[in-house]
Amino acid sequence: MWKKDSSEGSDRFEYLQTLVTEFQDTDSEEAKEQVLANLANFAYDPNNMENLRELQVPDLFLDMLTEENANFVEFGMGGLCNLSMDPECRDVILQCNGISLVTNCLSNQREETVLSAITTLMNLTTPSSRAEITDPAILQCMLRFSLSESPRLRSLAAVFLQDCCSQEQVARAEQQMQGQQTAVGIPLPKD
Amino acid sequence: MAAPRNNNSSCWGVPDVYKHHEQKKICISRPKYRDGRRDRAVKVYTINLESNYLMIQGVPAIGVMPELIQLCALYGAVEEYKPLDEYPAEEFTEVYLVKFQKLTSARAAKRRMDEKSFYGGLLHVCYVPEYETVEDTRLKLQDRRRYIIWAVRNKARKKEQKEAVNEKPTSSEKATTSETVIARHEKTVVPDNTGNTSNICHYSGFPLLPFPPQEYHYYRHGNPHWTIPTEDKMGTLHNAIIDTKRLEPQSSSSCQASLDKDRGTEQRLTLNQAPAAVRFVPRTTHLENRKRRMEEAADHSLTDVTINNEPLIGPKLPEPPKLDMEDVSLNTTANLIRNTLKKVESVPDLKPVEKKVKPRRRI
Repeated sequence: MWKKDSSEGSDRFEYLQTLVTEFQDTDSEEAKEQVLANLANFAYDPNNMENLRELQVPDLFLDMLTEENANFVEFGMGGLCNLSMDPECRDVILQCNGISLVTNCLSNQREETVLSAITTLMNLTTPSSRAEITDPAILQCMLRFSLSESPRLRSLAAVFLQDCCSQEQVARAEQQMQGQQTAVGIPLPKD
Repeated sequence: MAAPRNNNSSCWGVPDVYKHHEQKKICISRPKYRDGRRDRAVKVYTINLESNYLMIQGVPAIGVMPELIQLCALYGAVEEYKPLDEYPAEEFTEVYLVKFQKLTSARAAKRRMDEKSFYGGLLHVCYVPEYETVEDTRLKLQDRRRYIIWAVRNKARKKEQKEAVNEKPTSSEKATTSETVIARHEKTVVPDNTGNTSNICHYSGFPLLPFPPQEYHYYRHGNPHWTIPTEDKMGTLHNAIIDTKRLEPQSSSSCQASLDKDRGTEQRLTLNQAPAAVRFVPRTTHLENRKRRMEEAADHSLTDVTINNEPLIGPKLPEPPKLDMEDVSLNTTANLIRNTLKKVESVPDLKPVEKKVKPRRRI
């Protein structure tokens, strides 16, 4: 599809720009979903990451995380999952308050969205962001996920807990969780 | 998502039906400028959805498992496979789970085999990451991260080179899209230092399909201009093959060093070299290595054909028929032809038949 000459880079950029423009201009929800999915898939290829950054697509994906449309959230989160593997995109996402937006997706109904969020958080882990990402609330969420019936959720949460935080942090989060659970277990008086 | 029936974490337990196994409806409302070559559903692929485990549905239940696995093996080494008897399947079809050694092989196999006809049935191939272990998942993510970092650095380096040097257009520019994979393979048949011309791998006895599209990160012929993508207009690069390897930062610079070497000498990376750092080895090298190993194995009179050196789990594939070049029966046809020719030569020449000349009609 792309021309095999020196203008290939600009062809690519122009095409991506056309997609972004369509997304911004169209009123059709369906067209927006299609374009968003396309952009998220293009974000999988490292060749496109610089172009997408220039077109401010990371911001676009982040904006999708607070949308009502569940597909928008899922595709936007998927796009971020793909983009955040690139260190420069990762930094852009971090600067735009990405951690908190992505963390909110951990409670999404759709499993794909949650899985993308976990992977994105792992990608966003840097020496400076580690403290925020290993917040006890997030660790407790991951601990719950590691007990989930879903094997994919279990595995990914386990990788997060093993790779992103220390054993002490995990142990502390476990203790806090147990404290909360014993309180929840006591039945309220009937009178 | 369908509620899982049990908590069996073993990958060989009773399979659950998940949403990502389902084939979504094809999108028909795309405007032309962003419509792809193939009809596709609206779906986003991330590294979480991909896996070296594939599930293949729609295999006709006529005992073609060996053929199916042979077909899979064209795309890369298959580590394990088994039928999923409990998975809901259409009548007269079977479902198989196949574990590839590499994610890139699974990606290629999925692209090439999904929605393709196979012995009268239509295959539906999907990733099944739920079969991965925690370690599988971790390695998958690590490989992906390393590849991205390497690719981005590589691209930046090339950009610098471009800006630094005014380059002449290379006449020997070798395109790397899927259409030219056969041509690329022919290039790799160039004799190496040992004078050994490596041929197409025949180990499966299967007619060789064209190689899946690859992005060659390690460019064996010294040409650094390779960055031609294989996406379509919808960005489905996940269907392309990106040969990922765990690259140490040091080995990427060794790649660069070898790129600058004299183009006459072909640098061949084999799996036996540099055991300290894991090297990136193009797939054709794997095939050549595999062929060489097989030849060595044949010399030692091994009867088992193993795709890699690990023990093969599951029923063995039927062995390729062994050919004895000394067998007299091979010359039967040639002898028959020779004898017939001798007989024909010994018969005296017949009188030429007189031709009746028809008067030509004049118009």
